[in-house]
Amino acid sequence: MVSEAKLSHTAAMILQALDAGFVYGFSIMEMTGLPSGTVYPAMRRLERDELILSKWEKQSIADAELRPPRKYYKLTPAGRATLQASRRRYPLLERLIPSEPLTVEEAGSR
Amino acid sequence: MKPSLKQAFAAMDAGLLGCAAWLVPCSRRADWLREWRAELWHVRQERAPMEQLSWQAEREIAFFCLGAFQDATCLSEPRWKLATLLTTLRGSAAQCLLMLFGLLAASYGIASLSSGVRAERMITSRLQNPGLILIQYADCDSTTIDPKQYLVWKNRRHSFFDGFAFYRVTDESVQEENETGSAPRAPWKVAQASSNLFVLLGLPVRFATVEADSALPQIILSKSFWKIEFGADPHIAGRVVRIGQRRARVAGVLAEDAWNLPGKIGAWLVQPDSALAVSGNGFIVAHLNSAGREKMWAPVMQISEYDEDEGPRFFGYNVDQWQPGSWGIFWLGIAFAVISLPAITSVSLGEYSMNPPRTSLGRRLYRWSFFSAKIALLLPIVYFSTLDLAYFRTAQSSQVSSSIQMISAFVLFLIGLRWALSDHRQRCPVCLRRVEHPVEVGLASRTFLAWNGTEMMCMGGHTLLHIPSLPTSWFDAQRWLYLDSSWEFLFVGSGVG
Repeated sequence: MVSEAKLSHTAAMILQALDAGFVYGFSIMEMTGLPSGTVYPAMRRLERDELILSKWEKQSIADAELRPPRKYYKLTPAGRATLQASRRRYPLLERLIPSEPLTVEEAGSR
Repeated sequence: MKPSLKQAFAAMDAGLLGCAAWLVPCSRRADWLREWRAELWHVRQERAPMEQLSWQAEREIAFFCLGAFQDATCLSEPRWKLATLLTTLRGSAAQCLLMLFGLLAASYGIASLSSGVRAERMITSRLQNPGLILIQYADCDSTTIDPKQYLVWKNRRHSFFDGFAFYRVTDESVQEENETGSAPRAPWKVAQASSNLFVLLGLPVRFATVEADSALPQIILSKSFWKIEFGADPHIAGRVVRIGQRRARVAGVLAEDAWNLPGKIGAWLVQPDSALAVSGNGFIVAHLNSAGREKMWAPVMQISEYDEDEGPRFFGYNVDQWQPGSWGIFWLGIAFAVISLPAITSVSLGEYSMNPPRTSLGRRLYRWSFFSAKIALLLPIVYFSTLDLAYFRTAQSSQVSSSIQMISAFVLFLIGLRWALSDHRQRCPVCLRRVEHPVEVGLASRTFLAWNGTEMMCMGGHTLLHIPSLPTSWFDAQRWLYLDSSWEFLFVGSGVG
């Protein structure tokens, strides 16, 4: 796992966006304004460092809504602790992306 | 949007994802592609939900898909390592030295391929008889001289020379006499040489003992010619060959690379002086006696005749000393460049600092070693580049090529020194990485109230460089600001440090 001190501002923004309920790549792009070429590789690294976890949506839910299933991401306990440390390091983080916890279902319709 | 156009865009986007997927390792490809396709579906729903044509939406979707390449590259482990390595190398001292090594290899490679350099190297590489000079006209670029001049010199007494030889190079086919009926062989360079040429040059030719036949001139073959045209036949000596319309008897084979004068020659046809005088120009080689060797210390000498009033007509190139890329000429250009440097740029390395420097003695030595390495690499780069320039068009040494070499040595080394100093001034004293991200600070109209200029930062988080745009009495040269540990968080994830 990457130590807290090594988290870049971009990675911290993505963690904050996840914590705020933006749980898939495109919604994080929309929220942070970062391009896909930045967001997805950053999420790969965060997942590799076990700060976030990914999980495929159930096929039945996607079929019911006539869309392909999505891959959702969520913070791990380590990721949450890292985010707390990052908020102290980047005080504007919460102002950029206010936390408003959503359920996965709500996030999916977001 | 027209359905066909929409399908075309959709196909293009899918194609982009498909191409990017090839960069992803096989084990993860299916999952990766599934996620991107699902995301693309949602992006399309979000950006272009209606049937109307929206180029802006399609452009955004295409950009979204292009991001897949970066994601795929990230997942590819070797590529990721390569990307990390490139990020680490960017702007570093190692990158600078690698670039210089590349330039050195390129300039050396070009110089090695240059026919002029190869020819001149041959002149000097295997010196057999000290005191040889190659004579050329002083007032033109021609390398060859009228054979009548050779006969005049040969038959005259000289103060500084004790022998002259002549050879002329022509393209002719050489074949055995009994092959007369067959198709002619490909032409080779054949030198029609004066009989004293090999003695004057001191070349170790083992002449074969052949049946005396004074009516036929002798021909000496080069080893490569003997191998290619006669299959290295050990019984070649004494056979009669035909050179064009003339007949000659093979007298011997010259050792590989023994020939060290201009012209890649396959065979030497030894002829009497009377036969040489009736044909075209050739090369004249002279040998200095002891008095001449004492007088001739420079690579090039002027040759005057007693009855000349209008200055020397010939130059003599000392085969002993003179060579392409002569070090004397090269160092002269280098010396001029070093002397001229302060006239075109500041020679300061700009190591002033605003706060106490964090560099140890070892770091300072490392910094100076790097600077010395740059200069040390510049010298051979400039040397080989001057050869490239001087011998780019001329296949033979001349005054012109010497002049080009000296001038180019001066210009190239001056440019190189200027670059080395300017590059060094913009390298972080701590990590030797080039500072980046220039930012204009301050207003020129407030020069007397606050500094204005350019601020650059070390991506390792060690220093900030302040360069004043207008030197003042209180801020006349660039200064380094050493950053303390409170800045470090800004540089995590930069890939350097």
